[in-house]
Amino acid sequence: MAFIKKQTSESINEDERTQPRDCENLVIQLDSPDPVARRWAARDLADCPEASSALVSRLNRESDISVRELILSSLTSLGDEVAVAGLIECLRSEDVGLRNESIEVMKHLPDEVSPIMQNLLVDDNVDVRIFAVNILESLRHPDVESWLIEVIEHDQNVNVCATALDLLVEVGSKDAEQPITRLKARFTEEPFIQFAADLALKRITEA
Amino acid sequence: MKRILIVDDAATVRMFHRTILEKAGYAVEEAVNGIEALEKCLQTPFDLYLVDVNMPKLDGYGFLQELRGLDIPQAPAVMISTEAEDSDRNRAYAAGANAYLIKPSKPDQLLLQVRLMLGESLS
Repeated sequence: MAFIKKQTSESINEDERTQPRDCENLVIQLDSPDPVARRWAARDLADCPEASSALVSRLNRESDISVRELILSSLTSLGDEVAVAGLIECLRSEDVGLRNESIEVMKHLPDEVSPIMQNLLVDDNVDVRIFAVNILESLRHPDVESWLIEVIEHDQNVNVCATALDLLVEVGSKDAEQPITRLKARFTEEPFIQFAADLALKRITEA
Repeated sequence: MKRILIVDDAATVRMFHRTILEKAGYAVEEAVNGIEALEKCLQTPFDLYLVDVNMPKLDGYGFLQELRGLDIPQAPAVMISTEAEDSDRNRAYAAGANAYLIKPSKPDQLLLQVRLMLGESLS
């Protein structure tokens, strides 16, 4: 893809490996000034169970997109508490790209993310609550609809509710019908809420 | 008929904006992220872009930066965001936005900005 070619790097060949593949050395290589060495380290640390902390630390400083992608991939493979906690911290980052990449990764970690989802959905930071709803978009978990209903019933921020409602248009069942009706009544002055609520209710009725 | 590209990953938001814009007489196309938007404007340039900030693959800032570097007829872009801080506005303008609206959109405000950006009569 020509548009973002400058953000991606060449693939790494087995021949290019110059450092031994032990976990301690890989953590050191993760801070190498050479992006090729960092890419190798980021990829190989997926096999090191204690590596999440180092990967998260590097993720927040890494400027090379291809290294960042490999770090995120390795964190997904590791999927432990440290990895998930690090990804959640990325939701608070000012770096839009890093935030979006973290959201995409967390969508693929339902078992690891679900225990903390309720806390994320009531976070003091509005943006974090919106990003938490974004994670639910593709999170294959049985509680997704009930979490979304909680949001539209109780969250006072119109954009958090709008994001949850946007998702309920797709996944809402009869259980969401009354909460959506109440949301509509709460935000009578917001044309988008009225539009999306009507759309969701129509889809639920027709389903 | 003026052509507007809506760039937003939220399907309901795209549908909401499309309904408003088509009712006002504009031809509307949609893209779900910055990459898809760039592909579309390379095929046929648009008269205006309506761009969300947070999108997967390529966000609104990235899209505008890439767009402004393309050798195609340039058109104004309205960035639409949940962020109301001055720093967010400044970042949008620095990336190539010409106007900035706060979500959730109000139809009157949206149409006013669109008409201003397209140099149309407001009466």
